[in-house]
Order: sequence, then C-alpha cells, then structure tokens
Amino acid sequence: MAVHSERVQAPSPDAGEAVVDGTGTTVAGGGAGGAGPKRTRPPGAPGLGSRFAPYLLLLPATLATIALLGWPLVKTVLLSFQNLNRRQLVMHLTEWTGFDNYKEQLTDPDFWSVTGRTVVFTLVNVVLIMVGGTLVGLLLNHLGKRMRLALSISLLMAWAMPVVAATTVYTWLFDQQWGVVNWFLDQLGWHSMADYNWLSSQYSTFFVVILLIVWQSIPFVAFNMYAALTTIPKELYEAARMDGAGSGKIFSLVIFPNLKPFFLATTFLEVIWVFKSFTQVYAINGGGPENLTRTLPVHAFLEGSSGQHYGIGSAIAVLTILMLGALMAYYFRIMIKQEDEL
Amino acid sequence: MRRSLFGRTWPNVIAVVLFVFFIFPVYWMVATSFKQDRDIISKTPVFLPLDGTLDHFTTAVNAPNFWTYVANSVTATVGAVLLSLVIATLASFAIARMKFRGRKAFVLVVMIAQMAPWEVMTIAVYMISRDNDMLNSLLPLTLFYMMMVLPFTIWTLRGFIAAVPKELEESAMVDGCTRTQAFVKVIFPLLAPGLMSTSLFGFITAWNEFPLVLILNKEEGKTLPLWLSSFKTAFGNDWGATMAASTMFAIPVLILFIFLQRKAVGGLTDGAVKG
Amino acid sequence: MKRQLIAAVGVAAMVVGLAACGSDGKKSDGDSKSSSSSAADKYKGKTLKVWLMTGSAPKGWTDAVKADFETTYPGSKVDFQIQEWDGIGPKVTAALSEGSVDVLEIGNTQTAGYAASGGLLDITKDKSALGGDGWAANQNEAAILDGKQYAAPWWVSNRVVAYNKDLWAKAGLTDTPKTLDEFYTDLDKLKGTEGVADPIYLPGQEWYTYFGLLTGEGGKIAKKDGDKWVGGLSSPEAQKAFETYKKLQGYSATGPKDKDEATPQQKDVFAKGNVGAMIALGWELPKPEEMAKDKIGFFPLPGKTADKPSGVFLGGSNLAVASQSKNTDMAKDFLKVALNDKNEGLVAAAGNIPNKAALNSQITGDFAKAAQTAAAVGGITPNTPNWASVEDKPNPIKDFLTAALQGGDYAATAKKYDDEIAKRLNQKQ
Repeated sequence: MAVHSERVQAPSPDAGEAVVDGTGTTVAGGGAGGAGPKRTRPPGAPGLGSRFAPYLLLLPATLATIALLGWPLVKTVLLSFQNLNRRQLVMHLTEWTGFDNYKEQLTDPDFWSVTGRTVVFTLVNVVLIMVGGTLVGLLLNHLGKRMRLALSISLLMAWAMPVVAATTVYTWLFDQQWGVVNWFLDQLGWHSMADYNWLSSQYSTFFVVILLIVWQSIPFVAFNMYAALTTIPKELYEAARMDGAGSGKIFSLVIFPNLKPFFLATTFLEVIWVFKSFTQVYAINGGGPENLTRTLPVHAFLEGSSGQHYGIGSAIAVLTILMLGALMAYYFRIMIKQEDEL
Repeated sequence: MRRSLFGRTWPNVIAVVLFVFFIFPVYWMVATSFKQDRDIISKTPVFLPLDGTLDHFTTAVNAPNFWTYVANSVTATVGAVLLSLVIATLASFAIARMKFRGRKAFVLVVMIAQMAPWEVMTIAVYMISRDNDMLNSLLPLTLFYMMMVLPFTIWTLRGFIAAVPKELEESAMVDGCTRTQAFVKVIFPLLAPGLMSTSLFGFITAWNEFPLVLILNKEEGKTLPLWLSSFKTAFGNDWGATMAASTMFAIPVLILFIFLQRKAVGGLTDGAVKG
Repeated sequence: MKRQLIAAVGVAAMVVGLAACGSDGKKSDGDSKSSSSSAADKYKGKTLKVWLMTGSAPKGWTDAVKADFETTYPGSKVDFQIQEWDGIGPKVTAALSEGSVDVLEIGNTQTAGYAASGGLLDITKDKSALGGDGWAANQNEAAILDGKQYAAPWWVSNRVVAYNKDLWAKAGLTDTPKTLDEFYTDLDKLKGTEGVADPIYLPGQEWYTYFGLLTGEGGKIAKKDGDKWVGGLSSPEAQKAFETYKKLQGYSATGPKDKDEATPQQKDVFAKGNVGAMIALGWELPKPEEMAKDKIGFFPLPGKTADKPSGVFLGGSNLAVASQSKNTDMAKDFLKVALNDKNEGLVAAAGNIPNKAALNSQITGDFAKAAQTAAAVGGITPNTPNWASVEDKPNPIKDFLTAALQGGDYAATAKKYDDEIAKRLNQKQ
C-alpha cells in the first residue's frame, strides 16, 4: 500500500487537489456534502455541517463508551484501592487501603508466574489460530460450492457452540475412562492412552484447553479471511496469474498486501481474546492441577469473585489490563502508524 | 490451467478431515442429548443413540420459566446487536473515510476498549447498576452487551468500509448523489459480509454472556445461559439435560447464520463490485 | 392406610397446636391488644421474597408452605425464587447487599460466612417461637456464630451405602455388614463374583465420605489454635480415617483417584448394574427406569465396631432472614409457618433428616432410615466465616486425597494441604 498520503489534519481541508496515487486511489480529504467537479474533492470551505460531520457520527459511540465502559473501568480502578470483601459489599462499606492490594499481588511470586504463563499461552494459541484460520479461509475460497457449504456449516457449528457446552463436551471427550479420545487412541493401538488422565499434568491440561480454544477460534478467522478474500477484485488475481505467479506468489503478492489490515486486525483481536479467555481455562480444570494452568483472568476470578475478595480481584483486573496494554504497545504503534496510510 | 487428479482432490480430502474435526464435538453434544444416561458413560462409546430418548429435552424445556428466559435472551441479544450495528456503522464510516482531528485518538480508544476484561469487571458493573436501581431489568443488560460488541463491530465495519474502492463512492457522487446517498446506495450494500460477520459475532457474544447476567438479574430478566447452568447442581451435573439444553441453545445461532449468509451472498452479487 | 390416618390426625393436631404457638409468639412482640383478624391482615398487599436452591425443597413443600402462609395472612403473597448453584456465592452476597430478598436458603457450611458478613438477621430472640428448643443440636450448631442465632436449621442429609441387591445375592451375601471388617469381607466376595466390575464405586475425591470417617475417629478437619486456624489432616485421627478411606477406595478399580462423585455422576456408573455398591445421597440414585427401586438396598457405612456406624458429613440447608429485608417481621412469621411440624414433616417424609429429633418418626423410605442411623454420628465443617473458601475450587481436601491416594508421603502431603486450609481459614474478612 504505497500511498503517499498527505496528512490533512487541519480543521478545514485546504482547497488543493486530492492526491491521486498510481493505482488511482483517491486519498480521502475532509467531508464533503454536495456534488463536486469530476474526480476531485469539492473545493472550498465545507459547510458547518460537514465540518462537524465526523464528530456527529462518532457521538453515539463516544457517549456509549464513556458511560458503559469508562465508568465501570474507573469504578474497577477505585475498587482496586479498597478492602472490599463480602462484608463490605453487603454492608455498603468503603474501606480505602491505598496500594495494599497491588503490593500484595506484585510481591507474590505466584502472580508473576501466572503472568509469564499467560503470555506464553497467548502466543501459542494465537500462532495456531492465525495460521490455521488463514489456511482454512484460503481453503474455503478454493473449494467447490457444496464442499464449501459443508465445511462452513461445521465451522459455524464449532463457532456457535455455547462456550459452556463446548467445554463440557471437551471434558467428556477427554475423560479418563469414558472419553472417546482415549478410546480412539486405544483402538489405534496406543494402549497406554486407554486410561490416560489428561487433567493430571500442566501440559496435558493445556493441550486440551488450547485445542478447545483453537477449535472454537479458527472459524472466526477463517470466515473473516474468506469474507475478506471475496472483496479482492478478481482482476488482481487474473493479472497476477497472467504474470505467471503460483499460489505462493499470489498469496504474497496479491492476498497478503490486500489483506494486511485484516491480518493486523485479526491478530490483534485474537491476542486480546485468547489473553482474556476465561471459561475454557476455568471450566476444563479450574486452573489446576496445583494451580499450574491459571492464567491472569482465571487468577483474578478465583481470587476475586470466587473468594469474594473483590478489591484484590479488581487490582488483578487492573494489572491484567496493564499487562495486556504492555503486550499490545508495539502493536498499537503499528496500527496507529497504519492509520497514517489511510 | 490443467490440474492433476491429486491437485483437484487434496483440497476436498483436507476439507473432509477438517469437517470431521470441527463437527465431531458438536455431533457428540447432540448425540449425548439423545442418549440414555447409562449410554452417556459407556466404556465403548455409543456413536449412534439408536435407542434414544427425548427425556433430556423434556427436562430442559420444562425447566421453570423457560419461555421467559427465551424472550429475555432474544430481547437483550437482538437489541444489543442492532444498537451496536447502528452506532458502529456511523462511527466506522467516520474513521474509515474522513480525516479530522481526534481520529487517531478515537481509533486508539476503540482498540483499548477491545481489551476490557468484562469477566473481572462484573463487580464494578454490578455496583453501578445496583446503586442506580437498574437491577433485574433488560435495559442495562442490553446496553452492556451492546458495549461488549461495539468496539469489535466498529473495528470490523471500518475495515469493510475501507475495503470498498473509493472510486465507487466518488463515481456515485459524480452522478449527483450526496455523500449520504452515496453511502446508502454504494457502500452499504457492499457491507453485507461485514454486517453479517459482525452481527453474528455480536449475537454469539451476547447470547452466551454469563457472568454479568448472573449477578445483575437474579430474579426477573434472567437469560438462557442461566437456564443452561441450572442443570448443574451442587450434587452433580445432569449431563444429558445440559447437552440437550446446549443443543437447543445453539440452534438460533445456526438459523441466523444460514439466514445471514444468504443475504450476504446476495449483497455481494448485487453489489457493484465490477463497476 | 391406618398409618396415614394417624399421620393426618397428627398433622391436624399439630396445626392447631401451632396456631396457639403463633398467637403466643405475637404477644411477645408487645402489641398484644391487636385482635386476631387485624393481626392476620397485617401483611395485606405485601410480598415476601424467598430464595431456594434448585432441587432442595421437597416436592409439595413450597406449595404447602405458600398455601399455609397465604391463608394465615390473607392478602399476603409468598414469591419463591429458585436459584441455580452456579456462582451462587457472589449472587447471594449481591442479593443481601440489595435487600432484595427476605428469606433465603443457605447451605449449612456457608451460614457462618454470611452471618459474619452482616447480611443475616440475628434471630436469637425468636428461636423458641420458631420451635428452636427442639432443634437437633448437631444441626443447629451450623446456624450459630459467636453465640448468636443467624438462621434456622431446615434439614440435613447424609450419605449411606447403596448396594445392588442382585449382585449381593449373586455373591452369596444375605445380610448387610455390621462392622467395617465384615464390609471388607463382603467386598472381597463381590470382587470375585462374575459380572462385578467394581465391588464399590468410590472416586478418590469423595471428600464428604472422608470427612465422615474423620468425624467418626473423633478428629477435626481444622482446629482453632489461639486465634489462628490450623489444618487437621496431619492429626493421628485424620491418618486413621485416611487409612480406612484408602482401603475402601482401593476396592474401586474404576473410581478415578482425581475425580469426585459428580464426574462422572456416580449414579450413572451405579446404574450400569456392574457395581456392587456406592456411597450416596438419597437423590443421587438411578432413575427407576434405569434400575428398579427394589433392586437397591441401603445401610449406613459400618463403623470399626458394631455399636455405631462410621461418622458422616451432615450436609444440609438452613433458612435465614436477610438483615436488609424490609419485611423482617413477615419473614419471621414465614419461618414459623415454613418450619412448623407439619411442613417440617414433609421434609422428613421426603427422605431428609428434619431439624427436630421428635419428627424423625415421620422419616420414610429405606434410604432415609439408613441415613437416620448414621446422622446421630454426623458432624459438620468448622463453623467459621471462612469455611466456604476452603470448599472453593481447587478444594485442598480433594487435592489432598488425590495426592495421598497416589502414594505421596502422608506426613508431607498432609502438611502441605494443612497449610493451604489454614491459609484460607485465616484470611482477613
């Protein structure tokens, strides 16, 4: 996307001609109301309405975010500085404790091992999901109509499955005695697996959890990939093919550049979702064995809601947001930079 | 463009393997919901419940207030999805197509809003709702669900809007459309796939939401995830009923998909992609 | 027939008796002048919110109590809300903070915690009016914190051995065992019988049974040492109880050492018909169409000697009034109706142990009769506000059992989990 954009940041866009790059894409200028002369933005000072148009368009979203997200977020931060347990909640007591909750967590080695584990857990999942999802999306684009429909339906079912139900089914699939997976491995001749207890160790528990998350997340990436692929004009493929490009080349020359924003955005979302994934980790083995599969959200929940130490829970929640923010900082920069290219 | 037999076959082979991989757990859920209790736990798995039973479904549907739960879930979910689509379409158009001061800041806020860990913020949301006397109502639930999916919806729609070639919009404007008309006539139809995936996403998210409704609506305004969990008791889980309930719970999402997919495909072909 | 008639007459007599009690109780409120009709009208137009847990109230109980209360106080309404177990802790806390619930069912092991939170009304003064003088002491213990009464015991239940009569007959067993040694002999016989996969099904994390054994040995799961709690797994009693548990669990070839009785549901395992016995609650039985009722027999888990059975865990529920309820008088009057001998009799008839020993004669069913024998040697978890957090996932007692059954060094394992128990019990409120 070699667009050399002029960053028009002035409140009123100047009257100059819009920049047109080689492929003929016009860089958007300020908002414009009426019809203008051919191929160029309407010159002159736009009316008051269009000057404020973007702000008007953003108003509902901004208000909603402030009221419905900003407020709870601020409240969470406030709670994290309180000693808020069952008694304080029932009796409506406010007991400020300063940084006690934070000190307790930050000096707790468990907190740090949970944090490290969460990062690795997130990376492994996201790589698997992105690679898997992209391949499945490409495959969808490649298949005949019927096969595509069949695969789409199975993907959707996996995606649409209620998380609670999916987790329960996976618990059953991997059950030590009655699970189909062990039965299947046994039938294949791997007899030592006939009675294997998947939840007995950290890695095997993570295997089940990761499989579950990847299984449920791939459809999202695949569908989006497929939807995005359909927005690439067919001419581009044809042009590439005429130039003699193979599948790999087509991916790197046509698909990837066109879908770069898609990859960035999807990876971004998956990192967040996996990092935050709670039900799967919690319900499969409750963060066990021996708390070895606790991730940050599960940790926050077990310490906070489950143990009804809401102040501590809120502190871990705030730390979780900060950790995620730190993890995403680099990403934010790329994304923001990419904004300039629009 | 000759392709070997292998070249034509392998995508289908992989597709079949993937089909099984993705569908089997779902099948297992459905199959389990029809099984007699003694077949649910069985050393040799019962793959086809031939002597099936509808008992689990009866248990699930006869749970108290089932239909109220259905109505509540539908109201909150559909309300949240529609609201977020409207709000997000406005916002995403602005950030995809307009330049203005504060645009980057807004994009940053959307990105950060994505990270909100709602599961651990429930207590704050609860205290706010409690102190404003908004418990046991569908309104706060709908609004918060809307907020849960809003950043994602803005994010995705904006990508879709940005992907629509600007020439299309411009040529419409050359033809005498106003910018609003150009949006409605040109961009909006092309957004169909985007609207499809975002509303599906929103639907699934809101439809599944559990931790918040658990604590917000303890009497009126309960939704289906609470009903799902009601087959778990302190004395153990009724797996058959849980699976039957899960099966029924997943059906609306499937219907929605089939419906939306047709729309989306229609929108694509009707759209003026080729000018 | 005759028995039913007697029961009916008895119930009628009790209702009359209770009506008398009720008016006695009202006098103590001070306003003795009010005529009976205006007293009955005092809750006109008011609705009482009562929270019960799913599957807790016996069949017919809610209808009977609602009808009784609404007849006694015309124009009043009782609104029963059935709550699911999932996430119940935060949910109850929230409801207590709102004052949106008037009366609620609370697990007996959880009562102290809620009492300490300030969410439950002190009903010490109303105890006798509620019939508290007749409450079984080992049940009432769980409703008291620091000498104050915060709830009324409603019912308890405990586990007994449920056995497959066909398999026992096949193994040549004609009588139920009276001592643990006899039981082991029976299990050995069952083991050699064709068609028996497991003489007894006992998963490794069935901590209620272990807790019962511990109680029977005279031990405690945790004790207060000064103002600090210490775990009791390292005590000699606990080790003895564990030896018994280990021996029993050893008979369960298919019982996973790291699972509890709910995964899979032991009733479903039992229903397959190749399991000799299991240790179960009254509602944890296969459905009649899966296994005929008369195929299942019950006896309390025997003790080391024939004079008393092994100890049991007395799990159950209390009824409490929310301190922030706007209808506390109405709530107390509701408790009087809900816990009167007639309605408590329904609890007994459904196979639970009622809150008064005097009502034990109304217990019906083979299960409940076996359970009743053992209930006398039953105990409950330490009565301290933090107890509930010990039962939170991951429950250290369950993990202890798994670790010790898997052959971990007893002393070291016990020490480790004692520390965890102590840590949880000593958390600040």
